[in-house]
Amino acid sequence: MNVSLSRIGAVMLRDFYSLRHNPPYLVEILFWPTLELVTWGCVSLFLATRNFPAAVAGLLGAVLLWQMTSRPQGDLARCFLEDVWARNLVNLYVSPLSTAEHLAGMVLCGLARVMASTAMLALLAWALYGFGVFTLGPALLPYVVTLLAMAWALGVFAIGLVVRFGGSAQAFAWLLAFAVQPFAAVFYPVSVLPGAVQAMAQAVPASYIFEDMRAVLAGTQPSGGRLAMAVLLDLVYLGAAMAFLYRGLRHARASGRLSRFYQ
Amino acid sequence: MEVLRANKLTKVFGAVRAVDGVSLSVAAGEAVALLGPNGAGKTTTLHMLLGLVTPDSGSITIFGKDFARHRRELLGRVNFAASYVGLPGQLHPIEILNVFARLYGVARPARRVRELIELLELGSFARRPFRTLSSGQQTRVQIAKALLNDPGLLILDEPTANLDPDVADRIRTLLLELAAASGRAMLITSHNMAEVARMCDRIHFIAEGRIVASGGAVELASSYGVADLEEVFLKVART
Repeated sequence: MNVSLSRIGAVMLRDFYSLRHNPPYLVEILFWPTLELVTWGCVSLFLATRNFPAAVAGLLGAVLLWQMTSRPQGDLARCFLEDVWARNLVNLYVSPLSTAEHLAGMVLCGLARVMASTAMLALLAWALYGFGVFTLGPALLPYVVTLLAMAWALGVFAIGLVVRFGGSAQAFAWLLAFAVQPFAAVFYPVSVLPGAVQAMAQAVPASYIFEDMRAVLAGTQPSGGRLAMAVLLDLVYLGAAMAFLYRGLRHARASGRLSRFYQ
Repeated sequence: MEVLRANKLTKVFGAVRAVDGVSLSVAAGEAVALLGPNGAGKTTTLHMLLGLVTPDSGSITIFGKDFARHRRELLGRVNFAASYVGLPGQLHPIEILNVFARLYGVARPARRVRELIELLELGSFARRPFRTLSSGQQTRVQIAKALLNDPGLLILDEPTANLDPDVADRIRTLLLELAAASGRAMLITSHNMAEVARMCDRIHFIAEGRIVASGGAVELASSYGVADLEEVFLKVART
């Protein structure tokens, strides 16, 4: 059976309706990122007065780009969990909707949300701190795509955890991006991390992106090697996360867990 | 024409043999009931027929096709409603039906949704959040959702469990009319014996995962030497 755009659209429509009826969530999409931007913006202004002029661009660039991982990962998990909480998952799994279509719908909704919120933040960063996100030049697009891919890999893995271990695993759905953040070298270079942690950072696609971003802001060219490494790791993690989710679904059908999501 | 055939379905959860060699069939235009006490294996059987639970052994054929191999294609021709399954609470019934019409690939979704809103008399609450509806209204939305794709096989797990007698009776009448008009096959579980006697052509009693008695309501009562289906149920449950 082929992938159906109608079914992907149905998942997006469900999310759109859900957002429309949930104004606090609409506010939340902008509130926390704005708070983070303002906090780091003030820190960077302070550092700039202490003769760290590059800090402003580095920190604000990091805040904006990190949104590309933290928000879509949480959004993907939230979309799925909303149907768990509503006891609606059974209705989806007895329909012709495939897992790939379900994920595609949720990913596209998350993409629309993160683009809207990041555009607002970018405007704010420019208005408040004079930082233009396009300072990053043509490297911006591959940075965004690579960070989104990492977010989706984490999000799919989080959904796999819930499918495999049940609703009690949902705490991981919210925490995964934050658990990875220290190793992603978002606000500091990998070199400041302790030796063993540096090795772990090498396995995180975002660490290559943030290293490259700082290099670009310092005036060098983007590194093809770093980008390639990040893309390669993303592909490995996306594949592994999908395999984990499909395996989790098989297990949930065999163990009866999938039919107990209404309880 | 045979719509559904389940052959020797078995499912074991740990030490519990939830379903043990259940075989049943449902023909077009026929309503079949699966009855039994709580924990007898009714819902697990239905969930195997819907692809939510993988059988340990046995086979399922729907519209002549192997369900294990054609699951998604066949699910497009089947639908399901249960009193214990929810729908997104913030969404309005009209929105819920819009979403599911598209999930089931309904050709003219807006028109079909309007038809069902009229048929199930959802108009007065079609634009209110689902979570604010009474249980009777929620059940009517569930039934509307289950009819969206005009399914050839409708599986209903205790469909009228939360309804007052008046609404339950109207839902039963509607389902019977729809079955008669469309040749739809229905497989139903219920604890309401009068409902089953009225709606179903054949009845299977299931206990400890096995079908222990089958037949029409009158035939079963006669073979157990009792007055009605309620007493058959009590005999089966207490044996």
